[in-house]
Amino acid sequence: MKLILVGMNYKTAPVELRERLQNYCSDQDVALPDLMMNPEIKEAICLATCNRIEVIARLGDTARGEDFLKNFMCRQGNFDIKETEKYLYIYRDIDAVLHLFRVASSLDSMVMGEPQILGQIKDAYRMAVDRHATGVLLNRLTHHAFQVAKRVRSETEIAGNAVSVSYAAVELAKKIFGSLKGKSALLIGAGEMSELAARHLIRQGVGNIFIANRTIARAQQMAEEFHGVAVSFDEFPSFLPEVDIVIASTGAPGYILTAPMVAAALKKHKHKQHMLFLIDIAVPRDIEPEVGELDNVYLYNIDHLQDVVDANRAMRRGEALRAEELIAEEVAGFEKWFNSLAAVPAIVRLREKTDSIVQGELDRFSAWLGGLKEEDRAHVEWLVSSVVNKILHDPITVLKEESSEGEELPDMAAIRRLFKL
Amino acid sequence: MTETVLFKAALAAYLASAFVYGGSLLKRRVLTARFGAGLMLVALGIHTFYYLFRWIGEADIPSVDVYDTLSFFAWAMAASYLAMQLRTKTRVLGAFVAPVISVLMIVASIDLGGSVVGSSALKGTLVIIHVMLSVAGEALFAVASLAGIMYLIQDRLLRKKRDRSLIHLFPSLHDLDRINYICLFWGFSLLTLGILAGSFWARIAWGSHWQWDPKQVWTLLAWGFYAFLLHQRLAIGWQGRKAARWSLVVFFALLLMFVLESFLFRSAHTFM
Repeated sequence: MKLILVGMNYKTAPVELRERLQNYCSDQDVALPDLMMNPEIKEAICLATCNRIEVIARLGDTARGEDFLKNFMCRQGNFDIKETEKYLYIYRDIDAVLHLFRVASSLDSMVMGEPQILGQIKDAYRMAVDRHATGVLLNRLTHHAFQVAKRVRSETEIAGNAVSVSYAAVELAKKIFGSLKGKSALLIGAGEMSELAARHLIRQGVGNIFIANRTIARAQQMAEEFHGVAVSFDEFPSFLPEVDIVIASTGAPGYILTAPMVAAALKKHKHKQHMLFLIDIAVPRDIEPEVGELDNVYLYNIDHLQDVVDANRAMRRGEALRAEELIAEEVAGFEKWFNSLAAVPAIVRLREKTDSIVQGELDRFSAWLGGLKEEDRAHVEWLVSSVVNKILHDPITVLKEESSEGEELPDMAAIRRLFKL
Repeated sequence: MTETVLFKAALAAYLASAFVYGGSLLKRRVLTARFGAGLMLVALGIHTFYYLFRWIGEADIPSVDVYDTLSFFAWAMAASYLAMQLRTKTRVLGAFVAPVISVLMIVASIDLGGSVVGSSALKGTLVIIHVMLSVAGEALFAVASLAGIMYLIQDRLLRKKRDRSLIHLFPSLHDLDRINYICLFWGFSLLTLGILAGSFWARIAWGSHWQWDPKQVWTLLAWGFYAFLLHQRLAIGWQGRKAARWSLVVFFALLLMFVLESFLFRSAHTFM
């Protein structure tokens, strides 16, 4: 097949190595021309993300092309080739296809099912196309990879559930409120976890964010970042009736939010049946567990969310098995197409030869054909071409079918001999 | 003959849809529920053809005996649920709706009431409008109750943090509450129009809008309950658990009235 994929990822190489190489590969205006300068590289795509750097290429000469690619990866990162080779993985032919399909479907990602990788492959492909670095094989392969990723996403639930604590909290909020557009949130404590949760909430369309922190300067800093409102720590209970979601993550030694406080806040809300979702990600806990017993109140702490995450991870692993089956099916489909390419040169030569025979005979009889009306001459030409096409149809079909099954193609040799191709 | 085949085909498709939906609950797969929704759509299509066929054949939509009423009830439930699904994407609710529809269709297929049409006064466009609007209204109340049941289950799962895969599978509380409200609103509107149509027809047939017929009294009471429930939702702000519970209570009261009235009293509506 002469297809090769050389790369390193978060599983095979330390971050320092990846960083050095990523800096270079990200600049496709430098990396791709460098690659394409080598005569053995016929087509290439360079994928550089924070978790992986990979080059997929169609080679002229397999051995020379492979050596060049390995050297290329080491050279660009200023690595010693012997030292670095152990961090590289190399997939050839159908293994490269399988690897690319798995990467595109995010089965090889750090967080299985995360959707970003597909966008990154699309970007890398677009950049390679813009720089004329792709051809028939890589165009077909990458488009097939996009289709496989789409199929995996629609036929499995690999990306269905949240696998981080903050995202699990947001997903649960959506199970209560439906859409989070226009909802408001109160962050009590401005730690890293609440910041992460706030980012997810904003991405989901949460409008107003109130931030209360013992150090008001930190609250103001976060408020500025999220276009929210900083409130003093003592005042936060008065904001409870205003909000739908509360995220508590302070370092307080005891409960800072009690059941009577929440009950009083709910009574003050303009809608009597107002629902409140509280996430307590502090250890020790910030919110009294009895709060969860109140009507229309849903309280989750860090352990509940971690359970959600663990369950979802297990679910994703189950879905990954289904995805692998789909991918195996798609790889087989791609292999069939690729093998059929083996017959292409012979078919092209056969067609060229018959076309030249047809043209030669038409020229030879041009004097006689000249005596015909324009319309009749066109009919004769059509008739001759049609007869030739009919004769060629069966041998070409057999060649394509046999080559797609990866057989030795004894018929091809026979056809070459018979037609003197 | 053709209409029997169409009816049985619709019943088979509803049953298949119920099984697929059941599978989606057992396997916890939204994708399977989508397939269930597709099957229900096919069933509704066949069921609609069945009615069109009868309409063309008999130049009327016969919908006054038990057989027809239950069949039409099932049709209205499927149509309203699928219409609702377009707006809210709550596919898994079908796992509750499809089995109820299937049971209704099975009972309808037994042809309990035969074609008992009491008197010639029960013929006419106004009767059909009265029956269709009332039955469609009640079918919407049934969907509202099923959404209410699902709401209460999801609410419990969320509060107790149990069965997370089911939490993920079930629609959001907000969507279920919205379906409950929309079904209540349109169900109430249709029932009101149905009652009005029936009362006009009673005036024409029997000379009076009101006969103190047990069914009329029960229906008016149910209408009053629903009016109360809708008022509480719109004016007082009831929603969520309280609204779900009340919609269940009121629907069961309506069902109880229907059963008691059918067995204990003879009335002008006994043919139902």
